[in-house]
Amino acid sequence: MSDARPDDEGGGGDSDAPGVEAAESAAEAESDVPAHRARSRSGRIDSEQRQGTPYTESQVIMPTVKIVAPFAFTYGLFITFHGSGSPGGGFQGGAIMAAVVFMIAFAFGIEATRDWLANTVVVGLAVGGALAFAGIGLIPVARGGAFLQYDLLPVPVKYGLESVEIFGIAAIVSGVLMGLFFLLARGFDSDGSGFGDTGSVDDAGDDAASDLDAPETSDRTAAADGGER
Amino acid sequence: MTGASSLAAPVVAQVTAIEASLLAFVVLTALATALARDVLAAVIVFGAYSLGMAALYTFYRAPDVALTEAAISAGVTTVLLLLTLAKTTRIDHDAVFESVNLPAVGAVGVLFGGLLLTMGDIPAVGSPEAPVWSNPDVSQWYLSESYAQTGVENTVMAVLAAFRGFDTFGEAVVVLAGGIAALIVLHREVFA
Repeated sequence: MSDARPDDEGGGGDSDAPGVEAAESAAEAESDVPAHRARSRSGRIDSEQRQGTPYTESQVIMPTVKIVAPFAFTYGLFITFHGSGSPGGGFQGGAIMAAVVFMIAFAFGIEATRDWLANTVVVGLAVGGALAFAGIGLIPVARGGAFLQYDLLPVPVKYGLESVEIFGIAAIVSGVLMGLFFLLARGFDSDGSGFGDTGSVDDAGDDAASDLDAPETSDRTAAADGGER
Repeated sequence: MTGASSLAAPVVAQVTAIEASLLAFVVLTALATALARDVLAAVIVFGAYSLGMAALYTFYRAPDVALTEAAISAGVTTVLLLLTLAKTTRIDHDAVFESVNLPAVGAVGVLFGGLLLTMGDIPAVGSPEAPVWSNPDVSQWYLSESYAQTGVENTVMAVLAAFRGFDTFGEAVVVLAGGIAALIVLHREVFA
């Protein structure tokens, strides 16, 4: 049991300190956990509170994913690029490539993967895919034809279809699925002031909210509760 | 039915042992999904159901649908549901199965009986007379023309990307809009 974000736990400790104190003060209002406990037991409980999803650093899952991920990603590329000659296409291939990212996130921690995969990549894939699809469709219009009239493209019709599948659909699907995954992993910000990754302020709000909610939900399991409160 | 090689009419096939066992597996996992008391168990059994459906689709020669079912339903949806469960509290249950609501069972039974009545008019699996196959204006036209007009062997992709390309563009934009809607609902401004 160790945290998925070593830099956030260690290096970011200074910047997070006000947020943690706020969470602890909120926690003390409800329960008498000593102020030092929430930090020193950080191995599991803190990481769960902070990243919302439990993460176990498994010596089985990590090597397995290391071996499987390149093959799965290649399979996704194959499905995407060979959609014209074999089953599949951009939608299925994009979903498989996004699933590779899910796999990496489950093995190495969602927050670590979120830091590794910049928001620019996710948004660029989703929006760039839509723009590429529209652009490929509009080239024939500029040449006096109809939207997506492939025979007016400067390439053979087959490659026009494939470019739509690869640059359009696969990019949109993989980008949006990865975005949904990271969105769900971060969850809903209950105080409604969530502005993405503004670090400590959001974390404090989340922690305080979850601590306040904890006594009300009497049917929490011991694992989710840390067996403490 | 993909590929130029499948232009020959399919033969009427009996339900093989593998297909029968897959069908039984799918029905059982569907029932277990509906009846499981524990949500985590239901999600996992639902993933197994999707995998069974994907295998079934390949046996019925719809590999594109099978790939989509395997990638989206069995893979991505299961992961997203598990992730959502990890964000919530898990309630311990003593009972394995949900208690059955008898009026709901009655309503489902009536619907099921009504659907069974229509089974007689549905053509046999793989029947060459099935309208979806023998229709000369739609299915056969696409099967015979898609390669000539697009140079693509996969008829499904030719239909999706070329003949129905504008629809597909709309669907792709809907996927993007779904992602943006999720951002708005969760009060976020960034994905990752």
